[in-house]
Parts: sequence; C-alpha cells; structure tokens
Amino acid sequence: MGAKNRSSYASPCSQLRAEYHDCFNRWYSEKFSKGQWDKEECVAEWEKYRACLAQHLEDRHLRRLLAEADPAAFPKEEDPAHSADGSSGR
Amino acid sequence: MVRAYTQEHVYRHPWDRVTTASWRKFTDSPKVLSHVTDVHTLSRRLDPDQGTLCTTRSVTVRSPQLPFILRRIIGQDSVVCHCVESTVVDARNRSMEIVVRNVSLRNILEVEERSKYSPHPVHPDRWTVFQQETSIRCKPLSALAAVAEKVEQRCAERFLQNSAKGREVMENICKYLEAEASSATSSAAVGI
Repeated sequence: MGAKNRSSYASPCSQLRAEYHDCFNRWYSEKFSKGQWDKEECVAEWEKYRACLAQHLEDRHLRRLLAEADPAAFPKEEDPAHSADGSSGR
Repeated sequence: MVRAYTQEHVYRHPWDRVTTASWRKFTDSPKVLSHVTDVHTLSRRLDPDQGTLCTTRSVTVRSPQLPFILRRIIGQDSVVCHCVESTVVDARNRSMEIVVRNVSLRNILEVEERSKYSPHPVHPDRWTVFQQETSIRCKPLSALAAVAEKVEQRCAERFLQNSAKGREVMENICKYLEAEASSATSSAAVGI
C-alpha cells in the first residue's frame, strides 16, 4: 500500500498547488492574521492552480466537490439519477 | 448510534501563529499524518471590509486496515474517504472555525468534526485555545449494523489517534514558526 498512498503528490497539479499554498501561507501569516486583510494576494498562483485542477482532477468525488465550490466555472454534469427518491420497489 | 467526543488543548503560542500552523498541518507533514493522502483548495473568498476569509478544501484520507470481515465484504484492505473542510477565519475577532465532514461513505457513516481556535481568555495575546467536537454517526439502516458498528469504532479510534498526532504536528510547526520569526527579527535588526 505504502508507495501507492503518495501517488497523488506526483499529480500534475502538485507543483502549482505547492506554489499557491506557499504564497497563501506567507500571506496568511505575514499579513492577514496580523490585521492586513484589505487586499487579496496570490491571485495569479490561484488562477493557475484552479485551471489545472479543473483540467486534471479525475476523481469523481473531488470533481463534484469542485463543481459545488464554484458552480460558475464548472457547469453541472447531467445527473438524472438524483431525482426524487420514489419507491424503490424493494 | 452516535459517538461524540470533545477535546480541548491550549497552545502556548499566539493566535496568528497557531492558525498559520493549522493551514500547514496537512501539507507540511505528509509523513507524520500519513493517513491524509491529498489536500486541495477548492475555493477561497476574502471579504476585505470585514476581514473574513472563507475557504473550502478537500481532504482525502485513507482508512487504517479494515477488520477482516470488512475486507472480505468490500474486497479491499482499506478505503479512501473524501472529506470537505470548510474554514472561516475572522481576523478582526481572532477566530478560526473549521468544519470537516466526510462526503464519501455517507451511506455507512457520517463524521463531523468542528474545531475552533480562539485567543486564551487569560493570555489572549500569548496563548490559543483549541476546542474540537467530533461526532460519528452510523447509519441506522446500514445493511450490516454489526459491521457498521465495527467501522464506527475503528474510525473513532483512528480519529482520536490522529488528532493527538495532529496536535503534535501543530506544536512542531508553531515552534518552527516561532524560531523563524525570531531569526527574521534578528536579521532585520542586523540589517540583512
């Protein structure tokens, strides 16, 4: 199991994710948490990371989460299975 | 069948350092918190007038090895579970609230973990209080209630183990940040 667990760290977006998280962590610790919250930073890093996720996220659950987090960027897939839960018959 | 746990811990570090450590907890220590296999930020929203920051992250967790009977039923040694972590930070009031819920395996169990970091009432500028409530609910109509009970117990044990490990990681990151901050201050003083 061991090595397999870590496979996600080699995913196509891991580099962009690391860049974004580094930027975010710096902004959070040096500015936001100390009272400078008037300006959003790391926007370029965020855009690149988001675009990568949208393109490469293969996991069905994560894809759905992403769509829910930002409906505008990810049009909902057709999902007719989730209609009213009528009688299942058994 | 609901199990609920509450935990409290006092970090002897200021709120801004502890909450910084909280953001870094999963990404800085992949070896220690090896049950967390993946973390992605899915959304972020800053309100620059109010000083609030809301984010959503996905946290992928691999369960420990399942009990024998479950391995037979599911056909896998362990299961991967996706959780959503919603965080609201109110910097003006120095409050950070985190809610984690599982999004997969919900037909078997529902886990909700609510955490809060706030300044310590006696030493608000030096210490931080961490409070956490975890509830684990097994679905009553789950096909195999006895098996579900085992899963619930297994998950509960793991949750407690991991939150102890998580605190250790947090303490280490805080120490590291403290050292980094003091060396930055001394470098600045020297004029580097």
